[in-house]
Amino acid sequence: MAGGMERRVWDLLLILTAAPHSGDVVTSALRLSQAVLDKGGSVRVWACGYATMMTQDTFGDTKPPNTRDPGGHYPSPSAIVRRMIADGRGRFGWIACTACTEERGATHHIPQVRHRSPLRLATTVVGARQTLYLGGA
Amino acid sequence: MTTTARTGTGPSVLCVLDRAYRGAVEAQFFHALYGLLDLHGQFERMDVALRGAAVTLAVEEDTYRPSVRLGTMVLDTLPDYRGSVRDLVAEGFEVLVDRDAVRALGFAPERLVAGTTCLAPAELAVRWPRYDQVWFV
Repeated sequence: MAGGMERRVWDLLLILTAAPHSGDVVTSALRLSQAVLDKGGSVRVWACGYATMMTQDTFGDTKPPNTRDPGGHYPSPSAIVRRMIADGRGRFGWIACTACTEERGATHHIPQVRHRSPLRLATTVVGARQTLYLGGA
Repeated sequence: MTTTARTGTGPSVLCVLDRAYRGAVEAQFFHALYGLLDLHGQFERMDVALRGAAVTLAVEEDTYRPSVRLGTMVLDTLPDYRGSVRDLVAEGFEVLVDRDAVRALGFAPERLVAGTTCLAPAELAVRWPRYDQVWFV
């Protein structure tokens, strides 16, 4: 449309509906994102369902590696996402689906996360050259 | 590493694991094997049977160190499944491994973590009545 606002187009959109504890899907999404970033591309993650739990600010920055090693620490999922957003310098973005967020009471996202209604899913898909759906809601 | 005080008030349990890889970044705080290490002290006895692709958790591997780079972070606190199998053996679990699955996946039974017991599937099944309960973890 003449005179219309030009929208940014992202190289890759990852729609992440699988629960983080269900398998290796989050690791796969993060490694795939990193590979695209390493090639100079841009990636946006749309976190749906239980994936909205990953970016809660209530995690803090670190957690113990596991219950057998309470003295150790590793970065919390919200710290990982925050760092990837910072390191990506505008080429990595994270969206939290507001419906899934509200349904789970997971409303305390870190401020770097963009909140978006599922009514804007199609718009978000159109705003990316490629979309990969990592499913299993 | 912590050790669990054995109170032994619960029933004797055989824990059957069929699912193998259960994630890395998303499963740092809890995965089934060290969950069992934490819980077993509450039970009269707790053993583990690995079947299907889960037998790979008991295939010995000395050189691979699980880690992943995300942004400027290197996560090297990811689950070490075969290390957890070694811990199970060290804490007195009997770890039973389905021989047919080991062979079907192309591994030699000699490559399994020391102290595990490689059994034909039928031998695995006849052990079930020795336990008060069989859990599918």
